Parts: sequence; structure tokens; C-alpha cells
Amino acid sequence: MRGTVSVWDLPTRLFHWAIVLLVPALWWTHKIDRLDLHILLGETMMGLVLFRLIWGLIGSSTARFAGFVRGPGAVLRYLRGQAAAPFGHNPVGGWSALLMLLLLAMQVGIGLFVSDEDALNTGPLSHLIDYDSARTLAERHETIFYVLLGVIALHVSAILYYLIVKRDNLVTPMVTGRRDAPAGAPAMTPAPLWRFLLAAALAAGLTWIVSNHL
Amino acid sequence: MKHFLLAAAVTAIVTTAAAQNRAPADVIHMRQANYKQMGAAMHAISEQLHGASPSIDAIRQGSRTIVGFAPQLLRWFPRGTGPEAGVRTRALPEIWTDNQNFRRAGAGLLVAARSLDAAARRGDLAAVRAAVPQLAHACSNCHDTYRAPEH
Repeated sequence: MRGTVSVWDLPTRLFHWAIVLLVPALWWTHKIDRLDLHILLGETMMGLVLFRLIWGLIGSSTARFAGFVRGPGAVLRYLRGQAAAPFGHNPVGGWSALLMLLLLAMQVGIGLFVSDEDALNTGPLSHLIDYDSARTLAERHETIFYVLLGVIALHVSAILYYLIVKRDNLVTPMVTGRRDAPAGAPAMTPAPLWRFLLAAALAAGLTWIVSNHL
Repeated sequence: MKHFLLAAAVTAIVTTAAAQNRAPADVIHMRQANYKQMGAAMHAISEQLHGASPSIDAIRQGSRTIVGFAPQLLRWFPRGTGPEAGVRTRALPEIWTDNQNFRRAGAGLLVAARSLDAAARRGDLAAVRAAVPQLAHACSNCHDTYRAPEH
């Protein structure tokens, strides 16, 4: 690993690849009418999304929103090629990551209240609203899925563009956590283990309460 | 109560009579609307059971709707109202090719619906809580075999 530095910590990578598996699994369990599994996977997704939101506040430097969510000026300068890509997310990629995370959060949040038409498989909070509202939310749940698919397609296209046109492989670093050391750029400042444990415990606890006790 | 039973009986007779003579598309839309009402009733019951102080009246209202529809249900599937009707329906051909088991499953639903309604009329919440999963199982029992997935 000579000449490479850490760019993504293990929790961030595990989160990313878990989402890559979960999104198709959620689509498939709905498709084959296994809504019981769909709900279980959705609750898992909720835990992961909550974790990532907390990790965006207290995680390693490249995982933090404050580090990668940039203003419109920075985005424009980067798009015009006037600014070099910073370490970690670039200003455009940062917005893309944030957008996907927010869409997942919306999707999970709405899914909690959805009911199928028989009211046999319901999100864990569907009993708090009436049937008609729960059915309307089922339609929103579907719409957001397609929006999410669109943004994911954009995300994958951008990765391919970097790979083929800009000769910059972004996939391997998301697997290994390391990339070539850019000149003069700071490396990732990793978060200590206790912060990971705190974020994981908060996310799991909140998910457990919402799924089983409200 | 009497008015309700009368209304339920009239609805049952009217929708049944209608099912024999109406165009397949009408029958399909009628049964879909009825199933939606049963779904809404099921949801209403679950709203109560998950709440801190379940209203037995609201539960009774839901169980009445379901037990009102349950005896008619097997008559909502005259021949010609499957996928061949040319209307969007999730009803599978097995309803007619495996009709005996379909009818058995329908009879099972009626038993489950009656036992839930009896528990609700007695105001016995514990029995209601026990009867709901039984009813849900009876619903799924049919859906799993005789209804196509949504997409």
C-alpha cells in the first residue's frame, strides 16, 4: 500500500455496500409480495440510514457533512475546473451522496406508515394513521423509489465518467478504503472506536424502539 | 344493530345478484372495492389494538364490515372474471382450476371472521387479539395462492 492513504473508514464503506445490497433486495421482496421480509429489510435500512446520519456528524473527517457539503460557489468552481478535487467527496459528489441519503431517509420514514391494501403487512407505525392515508403513502413510497433510482443512475454514471474519461477509479477506494495520496492534501482523520459504538448504539436503539414499541 | 344487519343483508343480496348478471369488468371492480373496505376495516382494528386504550366500538365496527362481506366472497368470482376478462385484476386462474381448495380457503375465512366478530361483540379484547392473527392468516391463505403480486 505504498503511496496510498486512507480515504474512507470502514463504517462508511460497510454502509455504502450494505445499501448496494439492500436497495435491490427491498425492490425484489416487494416485487414477489414478500412484504414481511420487505418490512424487516426496511427496518434494517432505517438503522443504517440513522447510523450514517449520526456518522455524518461525529464520524471520520471524510464522512462528515460539514466536510463535504459545500456551497454553490465551491460547486461551480469545481464544475468549471477552477478548483482541484478535495480529498474525499468532491463538491458535486458530496451533494449527490447527501441527496441519496436524504431520499433513503424519506423512503424509510414514509415506509414506517405504509399499509398494503389488505392491512396485513403494515409499517411499524401504520396504526398511528388511518387506512386511506396509509394507502396514499404507499403511492408516495413508490414514487420516491423511482426518484431514488434516477439519482442512483446518475451516481453510477458519474462513477463511470470518472473511471473512463478522467481515469480516476473511485470504486476501489470504496472497497479498500485507500487511494493514491494526492500532493499536499491532508489524509482522513479517523474517528475513534467509541464514536462508532455510540453511533451504532444510538441508531440500533432508535430503530428498535420505532420498530417494536411505538 | 338491526338496521346494520338489514343493510348488510341487503348489500349481500344486491351485490350477489349483481355478480351473476353483470359484466365481468363490473364484477371485478365491485369485488376490488369490497376488498378495499375489508382492508380498511382490518387497518382500523389494528389502529385500535396498537393504541393505549383500544375502542371496542371501533373494533366492532371493523369486524362487522368483515363478517358482513365474508359470506359473499366466494360469489364474487363467477367464471370469466379472471385474467381473461381484459381488466386489470390480480385474480389468478387457479381460482377456477383449483376451485375446491379455493372454496375451502373461503370457508376458512368465514370461520375466522365470525370468531373475531363474536369476540368483538362480547367486548372481549383478549379474544379479539387472539382472533386477529387467525383472520389475517385466513386472508393470506387465499392471497398467497390465488392472487398475483401487485406488479
